Amino acid sequence: MEARTRSGSLSIRNVGKVYNPGGAKVVALEDISVEIRAGSFCVFVGPSGCGKTTLLNTVAGFDTVTAGEIYLDNVLLSAPEHAPQPGSDRIVVFQNGSLFPWKTVLWNAVCGPVQQGRMKYAEAAAHARELLARVGLKGIEAQYPGELSGGMKRRVEIVRALINEPKILLLDEPFRALDALTKSVVQEYLLELYDLVPRTVFFITHDVEEAVFLADTVIVMTTRPGRILKILNVDMERPRTHRILTSERFLAIENEIRAAIHDEARKAFEAGERELAA
Amino acid sequence: MTAVPSTRLHRPPRPAFAVGMMRWLRAGSNLEWALAIISIVGLILLWEYARPLGVPGLENVPPPSEVIRASAKLLSSDIYWQAWGLSLRRVAIGFLAAQILGVPLGLALAMNRTALDTIFPVVEILRPIPPVAWIPVAIIFWPTRELSVVFIVFLGAFWIVLLNTIGGAGSIDVNYRRAAQSLGSMPRDMFWRIILPATIPSIVIGMAVGMGLAWEMLVAAEMVAGNTGLGYLLWQSFEINAIPQCIVCMVSIGIAGFLSSEIIRQLGRYAAPWQRQQ
Repeated sequence: MEARTRSGSLSIRNVGKVYNPGGAKVVALEDISVEIRAGSFCVFVGPSGCGKTTLLNTVAGFDTVTAGEIYLDNVLLSAPEHAPQPGSDRIVVFQNGSLFPWKTVLWNAVCGPVQQGRMKYAEAAAHARELLARVGLKGIEAQYPGELSGGMKRRVEIVRALINEPKILLLDEPFRALDALTKSVVQEYLLELYDLVPRTVFFITHDVEEAVFLADTVIVMTTRPGRILKILNVDMERPRTHRILTSERFLAIENEIRAAIHDEARKAFEAGERELAA
Repeated sequence: MTAVPSTRLHRPPRPAFAVGMMRWLRAGSNLEWALAIISIVGLILLWEYARPLGVPGLENVPPPSEVIRASAKLLSSDIYWQAWGLSLRRVAIGFLAAQILGVPLGLALAMNRTALDTIFPVVEILRPIPPVAWIPVAIIFWPTRELSVVFIVFLGAFWIVLLNTIGGAGSIDVNYRRAAQSLGSMPRDMFWRIILPATIPSIVIGMAVGMGLAWEMLVAAEMVAGNTGLGYLLWQSFEINAIPQCIVCMVSIGIAGFLSSEIIRQLGRYAAPWQRQQ
């Protein structure tokens, strides 16, 4: 396990992304540089439309960059002349979920390693059952995703990602649609899995409390064009439970981020108003 | 219940029966069944007594008792059952041909942009022509009447299946594709495990609507171009002024359409088991 935490360092160097739909230039990302240590839990926060998802898509290999480079373990992943490919070393958990509704929970969980030919079905199934049980989902293997609640689906999706042993786990606002209570339960399960097998996590949210609770490092982004406004270390020990939410240290960090993000949120809001008025 | 003799009127009512009846009506869908039976029986009674009561417009409609007498005669004749067999065969061949051509063509068009741009304009020109309008051309083109009737049935089912397949395969959530790519799906997996299952519900809807249209087209085509089959028998009965027999044919076609739709529904449940609970 220890060896795995040494792989999965992500280096984002001067990355820019300009969309050009119909000649009107839209700068989504501008000069983003971040070094993410192997095995660290990194949370990106920022107002809606700040390019967080665009950045995640370029790392995942779904989108190209127009400037800069992205390296994973010192191997070039993406550059303007180097279109990235999606791969099982970078698995995404999507905002709206992407469990295949036509397959059972178990098949969803094992499809990665089985399709890549890394595991026999029986081996993968045993592994998946073990991971599902660990996130409190015993005995649902034969059900279809449509029969599960939102919180259960999210946990299955995280299991489906982790069973591939990705170098980096990419989560795009995975808990956005959950109610507050379910959200806190699923967050604790995520941290439990993270503590069990620490690996690099790239997590997007615009919930500041969630960011501080989960992260080693919080990266605050500006509104469009997306730039990095602030990088904060959350030096609170793990394993964490929701009891820390009321600690002084936690509140101090949370307030610092809120102050930074507030101006950006207002700018984003006003830009939105202008767009509506135009 | 039969009428209660007057000598029993002074007796107290049977509460157990009344309570049981109420309970039965409230349980599950029993009330729905009771209402359905009441409305059907009501319709038949209304129809039976429409002529003696002088309901305007229904003077020339034979009452159910006459229809039942006519059906007893018709049901014991070979012509009637031959007509069933021939009509079923025509629908089966035309409908199956529509699926065999329509589903793969729809999938191919949905996955290949160039093919779609080339072929779809032709589809859009031919599709609005009602299949019935093809009957004269079909009679000239196909060597036998049998083939022209089957062709009209085929047209009825073909367009709707084609359009539903294109629509279903074209509107698959991009996140399913992305998730599948990340999980290591080869193009072959992508087709069999993502695109095809994601399209099945749309294909089933296309089949259900297509089956209804197939029967409509069959009746029209048999009336005009056929010399056998239920549609032809219906028209023949009208020509010799055997209206009760006409109604037997109408009901027969209704039953045939209902049974065919039921087969499609069961097929859909089998092909898309994940949709049963939703």
